[in-house]
Amino acid sequence: MSLDAMPVWLVILLAGAAVTYVWRMIGAMVVSRLDPEGGLLLWVRAVATALVAALVVRLVLMPSEILAAASLASRLAALAIGLALFFLFRRNTAVGVGAAVVALIAIELVGRAIAGS
Amino acid sequence: MSDQSTVETAARYDWSALAGGMRGAFGVAGLVMASSFLGFGALVRSLDVTLASGLLSTVTVWALPGQVVLLSMMAHGAALIATALAVTLTAIRLLPMVVLVLARVRLEHAPRWPEFLLAHFTAITIWVIANQSVETLPRERRLPWLLGLGVTLMAGMLAMTSVGYALADRLPALLAAGLVFLTPAFFFISLFGGARYRFDYAAAILGAALGPFAMEIFPDFDLLVSGVVGGTVAYLVFPPRRRRGI
Repeated sequence: MSLDAMPVWLVILLAGAAVTYVWRMIGAMVVSRLDPEGGLLLWVRAVATALVAALVVRLVLMPSEILAAASLASRLAALAIGLALFFLFRRNTAVGVGAAVVALIAIELVGRAIAGS
Repeated sequence: MSDQSTVETAARYDWSALAGGMRGAFGVAGLVMASSFLGFGALVRSLDVTLASGLLSTVTVWALPGQVVLLSMMAHGAALIATALAVTLTAIRLLPMVVLVLARVRLEHAPRWPEFLLAHFTAITIWVIANQSVETLPRERRLPWLLGLGVTLMAGMLAMTSVGYALADRLPALLAAGLVFLTPAFFFISLFGGARYRFDYAAAILGAALGPFAMEIFPDFDLLVSGVVGGTVAYLVFPPRRRRGI
């Protein structure tokens, strides 16, 4: 069945909302049977952490059209600078994130100036 | 820890914590999320999808990767089943996050409906905030606090989606790239900010290292494979022994 055949809001509810909430619902159903301090939840935590790390790598290596305006080298260098400042400023998340974004734009501008000169 | 005993005694949530959670939305995490949704609004515009569809997806899906997959497939006129399958694949990662968030905030003997409500608001950002700021609250205030945060963030993101839609053609390219970069930068730094066990660091490094290979070999399941393999190996090599508090 083509998506054109039904109203847009119904498509969003069926192919978007319902198939997303089902996983959240399963999570809410199983949590009451888990020991909050137990090994199973800590393993789940490790899986979620590795998954988010892989997501970061994917976002940086395969950027959207907009992010691709900055080169891969700028993107990787910016993450490294952000992480370094995060630890330098005693694990301050705001400093780390802000530094990474500023570094991205600065490195890219410097790189272009050098390439252009 | 006093945590365990509170689980046994408290039987109702303290809803006065809602207001505190609402204020909590105005922080680094909220700012990062706002920039992501600004980008999402611009994307909606570029896909030639109506703003109303974008806003409906924000309220009912509330997970950016799924929303982007949904709207771009709709824009291409893909089949309903194919779209639903792709979106649901991006949503599996929400299961462990809901489990982790709820395990940290739920009351053993309270009614369960607030948990199913909070589950809808749970996504990466809420998981990160739960990791970093909920622990300091008394147990019965945690779920209402996160719910207040979630509702406020959602209202704010509706506004940001609309602003992004309107701004789409007006931002300079490098500034737009900086906005989009906020999200991966925030997730990356938060991996270290929320780390408490040795396996947290190991899982972050292994997940990142496996990512590129998984993208090649299992293009649609790469996050799932990297997460399960990287997380399991990290957990087995560095079995949990509390190392440092936050």
